[in-house]
Amino acid sequence: MSGKRKPDLKVIIMGDFAVGKTSLVCRYIEDVFKKHDTTIGAAFFLKQWGPYNVAVWDTAGDERYTGLSQFYCRNAGAAILAYDVTNPQSFESLWARFMPLIESATENCLKVVVGTKIDLLENDKRDITVEEGRKLAQELNEGLDLSKLEGDPYFETSSKNGANVKEVFEYMFQYCLPLTGQQKQKYSSVKKDIVDLYETDSNSPRAKKACC
Amino acid sequence: MSMKAFELVPAIERGKLTSDKFKAQIESIDVCGKNLYIGTSDCFIFHYCIEERNQAGKIAFHSEKQGHKYLGLKKPIVQIKAASALNRIIVLCDNTVTLLNMFDLEPVFSGAKIKGVVNFSVNDNPIRSNPFSVEVCVALKKKQLQIYTITEDRIVHVKDLPLPEPAIITGIDEHYVCAALNTQYCMIEVETAFIQDLFPYDNENTNPMVKKVTKEEFLLSGPSALGMFVTSAGISQRPPMQWSDNLIAVSCVQPYIVAMNDEFITIHSILDQQQKQAIPFQGGVFMDDFEGRLFIASAREIYSLVPVAFEKQIEALLYDKRVAEALELAENAHKTGMTKDKFMKIYKRIQQQAGFIEFSQQHFDEAQKLFLNGEVDVREIICLYPDLMPSGSNFTRSSPPLHEIPSISILVRNNDSVMETYKSFLRSFLEDVRNTKQSVGLKQEIDVALLKLYAENNSAELIPLLVSDTSCELADCVEYLERYQRHHALALLHKYHGENEKALHIWTRLVNGEIQDKSFQGLEFVVEFLANLNDHELVWKYLDWVLEKNEEFGVQILTQRPANEVQSERLRPDAVIDYLHRFPLAVVTYLEYLVFQKKLEKEKYHTHLAVLYLDKVLSLTKNHGSKKEDVDIARCKLRHMLQMSNLYRVQLILGKTKETEMHAECAILYGKLEEHDKALRILVHKLKDFGAAENYCLVNSQGKEASYRKRLFHILLSVYLDPSYETKDNLVAPAMSLLNSNVADFDTVKVLQLLPDTWSVSLLSQFLSRSLRKSMNKSRLARIETMMARGENLHVKQTCIELQQEPVILNDDRNCGVCSRALTDPTFIRYPNSVVTHVHCAKNKYVCPVTGKLFSTRPS
Ligand SMILES: Nc1nc2c(ncn2[C@@H]2O[C@H](COP(=O)(O)OP(=O)(O)O)[C@@H](O)[C@H]2O)c(=O)[nH]1
Ligand SMILES: [Mg+2]
Repeated sequence: MSGKRKPDLKVIIMGDFAVGKTSLVCRYIEDVFKKHDTTIGAAFFLKQWGPYNVAVWDTAGDERYTGLSQFYCRNAGAAILAYDVTNPQSFESLWARFMPLIESATENCLKVVVGTKIDLLENDKRDITVEEGRKLAQELNEGLDLSKLEGDPYFETSSKNGANVKEVFEYMFQYCLPLTGQQKQKYSSVKKDIVDLYETDSNSPRAKKACC
Repeated sequence: MSMKAFELVPAIERGKLTSDKFKAQIESIDVCGKNLYIGTSDCFIFHYCIEERNQAGKIAFHSEKQGHKYLGLKKPIVQIKAASALNRIIVLCDNTVTLLNMFDLEPVFSGAKIKGVVNFSVNDNPIRSNPFSVEVCVALKKKQLQIYTITEDRIVHVKDLPLPEPAIITGIDEHYVCAALNTQYCMIEVETAFIQDLFPYDNENTNPMVKKVTKEEFLLSGPSALGMFVTSAGISQRPPMQWSDNLIAVSCVQPYIVAMNDEFITIHSILDQQQKQAIPFQGGVFMDDFEGRLFIASAREIYSLVPVAFEKQIEALLYDKRVAEALELAENAHKTGMTKDKFMKIYKRIQQQAGFIEFSQQHFDEAQKLFLNGEVDVREIICLYPDLMPSGSNFTRSSPPLHEIPSISILVRNNDSVMETYKSFLRSFLEDVRNTKQSVGLKQEIDVALLKLYAENNSAELIPLLVSDTSCELADCVEYLERYQRHHALALLHKYHGENEKALHIWTRLVNGEIQDKSFQGLEFVVEFLANLNDHELVWKYLDWVLEKNEEFGVQILTQRPANEVQSERLRPDAVIDYLHRFPLAVVTYLEYLVFQKKLEKEKYHTHLAVLYLDKVLSLTKNHGSKKEDVDIARCKLRHMLQMSNLYRVQLILGKTKETEMHAECAILYGKLEEHDKALRILVHKLKDFGAAENYCLVNSQGKEASYRKRLFHILLSVYLDPSYETKDNLVAPAMSLLNSNVADFDTVKVLQLLPDTWSVSLLSQFLSRSLRKSMNKSRLARIETMMARGENLHVKQTCIELQQEPVILNDDRNCGVCSRALTDPTFIRYPNSVVTHVHCAKNKYVCPVTGKLFSTRPS
């Protein structure tokens, strides 16, 4: 649902059908792994990040929605490009199908490559190595200054057990809407739906990189 | 999904159109105020006047045909749009936009028109707002949009907006146009003609649609029957909406989106994008919203989709147990312009209904919150539980009913543990409610229910409930408490209702161990109760029983009575004392209470108590086994009594003590008889306690004049110096210390006469010099007093002389200062300020009756 206030950042999640995009958002927002219907078109979530509102758009991977995906990409500050680590085809789709889509829709967008369902990997049977993933991530973000961030925009996650999920989102948020350590502490100690009436407006700076 | 947000109502009575010689199909309609325009497939325009009527809560329309017009082209009327400010309707037919008079449907005189038009849209929020003009956007057959301003009879071209391909549908709001082109949607900024591509669509499977929903936000029909929200910035702020295939039209009536396909009208919430209602409707050809009202046309009928009163919608939701949705809807309902009071009343009832739904599903926290906020009548809840209502209650459930729960027993179906959870819910709910305004007037029901719940569970709260301010009635509570053997509680209930005898009956049985109850505190409790009971007959009845059980406790019933109690014959001290003779301990305690605490000054009690004390001492001393401390304590009490009181019969006590070794007591008694010589001899010779002797003199002279004290000390001195006593030499020392003592007081002359001649002056020097100083001081003081008295005497005399110096002359002219009559009597009054009055006119000799001047009351 759209609030009165425009979100400060738009984040979009793309990737092939059934790679686990919805599960990833669901794990992050609600911290559960549950059955859900196939995403139709797109779905939308709002998340509080410090003083900011972040809109997270989960798109449908289905080919027939490709036209819409580009529309939903518009003005995204960051994108998760998700592939299923047990399905090499879905990795290829990232640069073959989704990369051009993002490039055409929005500029200077942080692209985070995420390998999902890491819990399904049996020890050394992997088709895509960590290096390959990392390399793709670096290529996709050429021209962006990622020096302030820790590590490459590459993650391997499991929505089933929650591994690495929070890290993905916080990595993106921290890049687009950096918070000081002090701010992080302040907002993590307060429950997210409590409004601080004493906070002055000047304390909630506008987004550096507003999405819309 | 049985929510009923809308209802389909014929806008033009069924069959009316056909009878009005309406032959072809409806192509388009427009509604403006009461005017309804219909464009047909055979180029007719019909004008109706419709009126909405509320008949017994149901909306119905009444319509009347105003006229019709044939445009003479045999082509369908594609679009009609009334512009009431201009008194015109804008009509699109045969790719041409023309203007007709709104009432007589005649074309405008100027014949202004736009040709080659595929579709047009009107800007409801134009930037340049001249109230007598309308801004429209037209899509031309060629790759171009045009903006026009339409006035009464002119159509003025404003701007061309070139397009990459021809547009099919347009929507305009403020300065943005959203258009469906052949293969894609785009957003065009009118000012700059900047085109923002939105997304492509497949024109074979998708019927393009552009519907303005909110300010600068459009709803478009996207691929795969998705409803896509797009803002003028070209992005989406809401997730898409899923429609079914073959969409014919969409409309928006906040907060709903209504979609129509060939079979259904579906209603979706714009807030959560969920479908809320589906109404079967076949053969729909047209649907649109006009000023917030929805109209739908099939080939030959026109309907309106009227919102169902929110109460009904909520009812339906509650029926489906969709509590959260119902409450949300209710909360939003106050925006519908109801008065606050009316809203609160309805809202509360909804909360109550919702509460019962949660209650029936064992969602107790939610239920409690709703019951409290909805201020439910607690009886509605209590009466669901078997036997918890007071038996005399004539409560009937609210009608129409708030819920469908016949009773808890039926709800839980013999499941005892569920029954328990329901009971514990009620308990905590009633406890919360008990002291709030929600309990006003219902205390009895609440307390009775709580009592029953507590009794069943044997919970500790039962007793506090009955002790203070309870509204538990006797009727069925007694039976409940008996059934669960809450004896103490039962007794307390009797007590609360003034049935003290019944209460005591239960308590005696508890004390006697005939029945058991852990919450009962035992005999002390009964004693305290009796001590405060003002029914003295009843006290009397149980006194014996308590005393038999425990004398010390028993007597507290008599001694710890409330301070301001009304006296009665029953508890008259004499009667009590007579009665208590069987209980020696009790009688002493009672007499002490009368003498020391109540300070009754009756010889009888004082003597009695003294005798009892004495008996105690005697019996202790007789018994050789008794401990010295006990004897000491007993004697101490006795002495205190003898010394403190002046009312007992001294001779009687003395008769009993004389023969014993109780010298100290004898001394006190002689003192009471003023036989000081005897008393002091005992103290000096028998007890050799000189300190006590000196003290005796002080104590016995208290409150008496100095000479009495002198006499006592003199007696003591003579005892010391009594030559008849063999050990007199040994008493020289105490005699000397007495003489030199600061507290002792003597008549010096008498002392000197008493002292043996043999005593040296040096021995007595201290005493002598002190005595001398004292008498000297006395004589000087006396002289000062004499002189002062003389001075005062002189002063008075002087004043007297001064006052008598002047003569007072009375003659016929001189009248009384008060009554102004002649002074004929030989006596008269003269005030110091020379006012003269009759004797009887002088009310107060210190106040001048004429001037009010106050004269000193003492001789100056
Ligand atoms: N084991 C495992 N299964 C997952 C994970 N993420 C998603 N899935 C499953 O993958 C399927 C597709 O997930 P979904 O989130 O609907 O994919 P989407 O189409 O990309 O949104 C579902 O059956 C999920 O249960 C994961 O991390 N681990
Ligand atoms: Mg999905």
